[in-house]
Amino acid sequence: MHQLNKVIIQGIVLLALFFGLFFGLSQIDFIKVFHIKQTKLNTASKLGDVLWKQVEESEIIIHNDTLQKTLDSLISPILEANDIPKDSIHLHLVENSQVNAFAMPNNHLVVYTGLIKDCKKQEALQAVLGHEIAHIRKNHVMQKLSKEIGLSVLLSASGGNGALIREILKTLSSSAYDRALEKEADLTAVDYLMKANINPKPMADFMYQLAQKDVMPDGFGWISTHPESEDRAQYILSYVKGKKIGNKQMLSSKGWETFKERIAEED
Amino acid sequence: MIQNLNFPYKPSEHEAEKASNSYLMSLVALVAGLPLPIINLIATFFFFIANRKGTYFVRWHCTQALFSQAGLLCMNSFGFWWTIDIIFYNYPISGSYFAYLFTVILFNITEFISTIYLAVTTRKGKHVELWFFGPLTNLICKPDASAQ
Repeated sequence: MHQLNKVIIQGIVLLALFFGLFFGLSQIDFIKVFHIKQTKLNTASKLGDVLWKQVEESEIIIHNDTLQKTLDSLISPILEANDIPKDSIHLHLVENSQVNAFAMPNNHLVVYTGLIKDCKKQEALQAVLGHEIAHIRKNHVMQKLSKEIGLSVLLSASGGNGALIREILKTLSSSAYDRALEKEADLTAVDYLMKANINPKPMADFMYQLAQKDVMPDGFGWISTHPESEDRAQYILSYVKGKKIGNKQMLSSKGWETFKERIAEED
Repeated sequence: MIQNLNFPYKPSEHEAEKASNSYLMSLVALVAGLPLPIINLIATFFFFIANRKGTYFVRWHCTQALFSQAGLLCMNSFGFWWTIDIIFYNYPISGSYFAYLFTVILFNITEFISTIYLAVTTRKGKHVELWFFGPLTNLICKPDASAQ
């Protein structure tokens, strides 16, 4: 009993010493002492900006206000319904025939025109956007990069190493996340859509549509990087089964077709 | 924080060497595994497993080394993941982070110096108990028949 008391008392003293020291040191304003600027330590945002610069140099960015506004009107209800600040997602439209969309560090979301052309319904495009937003919000982007590229390499890349930046960009745009992360992003996207009263079923239809094209070897980014599309369609459908589904459409059928036509004109 | 105490028996030269090695083990692993605090704990743990059926003196000091490493692991791990969150997940860097970092560094230095001291004194066959971890070891590590 005497030994036990000794352990408890000494343990308490040790904890008190630890927290006392911590509390004491907390009174010093180290941020001021070390002249730290927040952005300097922000690898994700630096890396995101360097990667975006690379995209700007290597791809054709569409700066058409009408198209950008239409795209914004499709993404806005998802962001609003899920309390995601609008300015936290940087949405970019890129002219490229590949059926692809991908997320980059620092909340950049790139959508290829090929993807929009391939979506039969606006909800399918919204679902893909929701899926990529989920990757961003759940921190999947940096998780994937730190796993595949390595923490130390990423740190050096944020300084601006050309070949490395291209390699990172390739990893982000043409390779899938872990199956668990993909599933999490799919189901989160479904939640996002349902909260915004958007029908998530076209997402499953789009998956089936992709599954038909799975045989194609190249040039279909979102298809080749997202395998087992049919499985995904099935778990999405079973996830929404029995749940109340809204049917809110941001664009009229005519508006959606016009948007796709304009996208096709840009290509 | 460190107490020189009498041990129930006088350890042999061989025992003193083994007991001293348990502290050296965590020192060597500390150098190898600095960014990943789990490595020193694993190294000390395997040394503990290898010697848990050794004589009382060796067992006692292996256990104390293991406990002190486990204590450090908790505070170091928290600091390690906090740093990772700041670097990669946009966590804001704060004064509390530095306060925690320096507290942990101070505790690590204290632990490092005590471990060297323990390694040297146990090598001489003297019995030394650390604050808190010593009495904790006494609670768990009991003398066996051969030590009496």
